[in-house]
Amino acid sequence: MSGITLDTVRKEFGSGEEAVLAVEDVDLEIEDGEFLVLVGPSGCGKTTTLRCIAGLEDVTSGRILFGDRDVTEFRARERDVAMVFQNYALYPHMDVRDNIGFGLKLSTQQSAAEIDQQVEDVAAMLGIEDLLDDKPKELSGGQQQRVALGRAIVRDPAAFLMDEPLSNLDAKLRSQMRTELQTLQHDLDVTTVYVTHDQTEAMAMGDRIAVMNDGRLQQVGTAEEVYRSPVNEFVADFIGSPSINVFDATVDGSRLDGPGGFTYHLSDASPVEDLDTVRVGIRPEDITLVDDGIPMVANVLEPMGNENFLYTTLGDHDITARIDPTKRPQPDETVEFAFEESALYLFDPDTGDALKTKDDGEIPDRGADTDARPSETDEALEEAIE
Amino acid sequence: MATRDSLSGTEPSLRDRLRFARQSVGERLPTPGEGIVGYLFLLPAFLLFGIFLAFPIVYTFYLSFFRFEGVGNDTLLWIDTGFFSYRLTSIADLRFIGLENYIAMFSDTLFHQALFNTTFILVVQVPLMVALALLFAVALDASFVRLRGVFRTVLALPVSANLVAYSTVFLLMMQDAGLINYVLTSIGLPAIPWLTSSFWSRMTIVGAVTWRWTGYNMIILLAGLQNIPQQLYEAAEIDGATRIQKFRYVTVPQLRPVLLFVFVTSTIGTFKLFSEPVIINGGGAPLDSTITIVQYIYQTAFIDFRLGYASALTYVLIGVVSVLSAIQLNVGGESDA
Repeated sequence: MSGITLDTVRKEFGSGEEAVLAVEDVDLEIEDGEFLVLVGPSGCGKTTTLRCIAGLEDVTSGRILFGDRDVTEFRARERDVAMVFQNYALYPHMDVRDNIGFGLKLSTQQSAAEIDQQVEDVAAMLGIEDLLDDKPKELSGGQQQRVALGRAIVRDPAAFLMDEPLSNLDAKLRSQMRTELQTLQHDLDVTTVYVTHDQTEAMAMGDRIAVMNDGRLQQVGTAEEVYRSPVNEFVADFIGSPSINVFDATVDGSRLDGPGGFTYHLSDASPVEDLDTVRVGIRPEDITLVDDGIPMVANVLEPMGNENFLYTTLGDHDITARIDPTKRPQPDETVEFAFEESALYLFDPDTGDALKTKDDGEIPDRGADTDARPSETDEALEEAIE
Repeated sequence: MATRDSLSGTEPSLRDRLRFARQSVGERLPTPGEGIVGYLFLLPAFLLFGIFLAFPIVYTFYLSFFRFEGVGNDTLLWIDTGFFSYRLTSIADLRFIGLENYIAMFSDTLFHQALFNTTFILVVQVPLMVALALLFAVALDASFVRLRGVFRTVLALPVSANLVAYSTVFLLMMQDAGLINYVLTSIGLPAIPWLTSSFWSRMTIVGAVTWRWTGYNMIILLAGLQNIPQQLYEAAEIDGATRIQKFRYVTVPQLRPVLLFVFVTSTIGTFKLFSEPVIINGGGAPLDSTITIVQYIYQTAFIDFRLGYASALTYVLIGVVSVLSAIQLNVGGESDA
């Protein structure tokens, strides 16, 4: 077991004029035993980064270290990593037992009986001991997923690399496997790099989240950090569901003028000094409906049970608000909203860099109950037991 | 009464009744497309199949129990209208001899020799060719190979070569003073009697057939290789497999259905070997050492005119090929992919 260090890792596909830059000088340090989630939109280079770590792609420049060991020039099979593929990549001609035991058979000197014992232990841990003699095609998606996990776990590798392992499962199974994976990773305490495009998954699972876009690493931090203190508008927009509302506003001293008669007086105008315009961001959960606020027109209401998503129009801009389930504005009804300045995000209109982020000093209630982290729950459990 | 009135009051007109009758008849007849018309369209194909395939297959079996004694002269059907007359004669004069043709095979040494030659060529040629085809396919599938299209075309080109032409070229190259021996002697090796020795003349046939069919099988194997998901190789790489282990544990099992197809079709093809040995015999190779089963059947049927015996031989050949194919399918075809 070891940490993983990426040192200005760069990956280009093709060469010369036609070269495509997939990963641009990524520096990343993953600690021993950490669960790091690489997240970003399609084509952002997250999978390529993972494949570079695995050794399935050669890096164009830069170094990859496992602990102190420079593995940049190592082939995948020399790196002692295990990988779970998006479509599982189980060997169709082998039964579950052979699929799980294949790596051990190749890479260790253990006897068939010893390997078999380990395979059975892992299968029991994953609850697939009854499936050991089945072929992959006889299994459901969730079962195949477990076999793929078993194949990774049984090797006891230096690191787990997972490439969107849950994306082929249905929503219910996905959230179930999400919890199981976290528990497993927690128990095994193996450094894990997990790639996903789903920010909810990233927030829920990662000890830390690395947000990527256009081949570049945007920000690395805990779920709370990337949510509350995004470094730029991209991260702010990518993290959080529904997405943050962002619109242009002109700056006049400490006054911000936005679309549809939006006006706001900043009590602290220092972030917008020297700027003519600014990008204003407000998270849907920071919007409250009030009687004497900024008017906007309600369009669609999506009841979620515990809350309502309200889609509205502010001038020519769409604004989403998460509101109390008891409030049900009708379509075309004008509602008025307000927010705390501490919850306001401001971004540079040219660079997208964050000028001001959430500084209200506490995690919003809703954030806390939907994004409950297992480590926290585990700690709570342990405390309860004590 | 009111009911009756209301019914009779709407008595349908003659025209309506006719239309109704026509409709109900029409509904009872098979509609075009699902019945007769469909079969009509199929008829030409069925006719051709029946006359040129099904009938000969059945008639050959029938023939194998008879001795052929010349073209038939018996009248089966005679139509004489005064304007023209038509006489249909029987195909052949046949004498029923039961299983004699089949029994005769047990003491037919030339048949045994043909069987041995064919089996020898099969045992040497099919594994050699499949191995070569697989080697080329794997090489062409490798990412580092450049000019892949050119190599693929060159390797597959022999399939389009005319049988007689290429056999003749082989015959010329394999002469005692031919190109191959020239090359061998010029690098200090002894010349090989490619056509005159019974062992080497079989090898000449093996070489010719391999040259012609390797590319064809390579294309099939290449298609099979390209269907293997890349991720299986990546998973194997992560699991610690070397190149050879990947070939052993991923490529071969994944390719098994395709390999099986190649083996079965090549086996059948070798049993049907005809043109190459004929040409090479014609060039002076000892007949006994190169004659194949089909060549022997051809001689029996169309040179010796022993059609009954040839038919029996044909059925024995079918039996042998079927049994071999069945064994191959059973051994290699346990479904798993």
